[in-house]
Amino acid sequence: MYSYIARRMAFGAITVVGVSIMVFVIMRILPGDPLVAIFGPEGFTKLTEEQRAGYMRELGLSDPLWVQYFAWVKSIAAGDWGHSFFRSESVADMILRRGPLTAEIAILSVVLSWIVGIPVALISALKPNTLGDSVARFISILFIAVPGFWVGMLIVLGLLFWFGYRAPLAGASLFADPLANFQLVIGPAVVLGLGQAAYIARMGRSSLLEVIREDYVRTARAKGLNNRLVIAMHALPNALLPVITLSGVLLGLVLAGSIPVERAFGTPGLGFAMFTAVSERDVFVMQNLVFLYATVFVMINIGVDVAIALLDPRIRYR
Amino acid sequence: MTVTAADQKIAARARPHRRSFLRGVTTLFRRAPFSAFWGVVVVLIIAMAVAAPIVEPYPPLKADFRAMGKPPSEKHWFGTDQVGRDTLSRVIHGSRYSLVVAIGAVLFGTTLGALWGLACGYFGGRFDMVSQRIIEFLQSFPDLILAMAIAMALGGGIGTVIVAIAITRIPFGGRVIRSVVLSLKEMQYVEAARGLGASHLRLMFRHILPQCVAPYMILATTHLGVAIVIEASLGFLGVGIPPPTPTWGNMLSDALNAGLVPPWWLVLFPGLAITITVLAVNLLGDGIRDLLDPRLRGSV
Repeated sequence: MYSYIARRMAFGAITVVGVSIMVFVIMRILPGDPLVAIFGPEGFTKLTEEQRAGYMRELGLSDPLWVQYFAWVKSIAAGDWGHSFFRSESVADMILRRGPLTAEIAILSVVLSWIVGIPVALISALKPNTLGDSVARFISILFIAVPGFWVGMLIVLGLLFWFGYRAPLAGASLFADPLANFQLVIGPAVVLGLGQAAYIARMGRSSLLEVIREDYVRTARAKGLNNRLVIAMHALPNALLPVITLSGVLLGLVLAGSIPVERAFGTPGLGFAMFTAVSERDVFVMQNLVFLYATVFVMINIGVDVAIALLDPRIRYR
Repeated sequence: MTVTAADQKIAARARPHRRSFLRGVTTLFRRAPFSAFWGVVVVLIIAMAVAAPIVEPYPPLKADFRAMGKPPSEKHWFGTDQVGRDTLSRVIHGSRYSLVVAIGAVLFGTTLGALWGLACGYFGGRFDMVSQRIIEFLQSFPDLILAMAIAMALGGGIGTVIVAIAITRIPFGGRVIRSVVLSLKEMQYVEAARGLGASHLRLMFRHILPQCVAPYMILATTHLGVAIVIEASLGFLGVGIPPPTPTWGNMLSDALNAGLVPPWWLVLFPGLAITITVLAVNLLGDGIRDLLDPRLRGSV
């Protein structure tokens, strides 16, 4: 078991290094001239030759690329995540201030997706091809198709129109002001949670249908256990394994999905910061945030793999 | 990331499917009328996109200062935005960008991934190992974030949006086709062809590739819907095709910029267009998948 975890961690570390190279390639090498990205094509033409050279030196952009890469990795490792061009707050402070909100949204949405998705999967799988199953399947297909940020916009509009309610705009921490915090988090979490619940219901249904056909489930029935116990004690635990894996993948997708959803709700989380960075063409903030998101995604995947290995001996002893 | 159960299932099917297009369509209608209905919706949406300049009641970019921010009426069925552009015309016109980007990105990305997967599965060894690592790195980014970063780095425009979304599609094509090829490679008919002295290229493209068509089709249709949503999200976040181009994502973004309280018709209709299109494409994709591979029914 420990060797499995160690191996998985080692692979994860390699992946993070690869990810950092990829982020660097995308953000630093692709844009052609970073000064154009920062100042815009018009602003760029207004700069004199000396100004350009000065900015390039100041930003460390005139060094060879591999020097720039190692300088970037070193500063990130030291916890210096740089500054935005447009704000005084450092990126590290911003992540610490806004990150918890997005993390809360992500975790709450996963919890909601299980609360909604698993019962729907059970209803579908226990009576397949009935009316209830068809309705459940169509609704989950519908929820996969609906863009979350649009639902978010509709919810904001609806609440404002019918109840004159608007969630607070300022950030509030979970511990300082739980009520305001809840109002900020619940909207995005519901939208993202329902989106994931659709996938979970689909996966849970097909996985349950497969498990129910297995011999050991028949044995459990044959020894006279009532159906509810057979499902709850024998079928469900095994059927949930692929759902856990899927949930991990979805958690990563939620991190990305929360960017437009946070914009739709106006939630002051990390996703909104990402949107701001993108719309201001703030290359360096973007670079660090993309790296952060990808690293978190890699760590979530490791966590899920380890959890699955703990739960499933077939993987552990391979 | 390892090969998932769904991949293996797609890979498991590797039987030849030679069916004329027309027969395929009739079979779809007979066996899956529900999917076929949504197929008709897809055809209608494509027709709307192609005929957009004829169908739309007003030019999508023409501002009318006598009808600014008007709610839906007989003259403007979907209302007008803050500078008096007709929402219906813009929604109709937006379907063009949505479809072109989604189809372009899926064709480009999935095809590139499929060819890469073909080479990986066929040659194996060190090339395969390195390729799998690169694909793993690509998959370590959530789709939307990778697309955002690439679209931002390359600057706005329809071409860059297609490339950005296409790159996020490469790993899927690569992994699925690779696992198909891995099982095909060991088949006797490939062995026979190799025994007859067929070259690597001939084996890959003449003998193995035709068997990858069905999984490729399944992949392409499943990813069309995802591509449409990513395109809309990019537009909504301001890194898609730059305004004033009326893409659905841009329209939703404009609605949010219109003021503190966006008019409901500016929010409702573009989003409805996205939802219906993605729903139709996904359900048609499900139907095609069931048709090409009954064993996959209800999964993926």
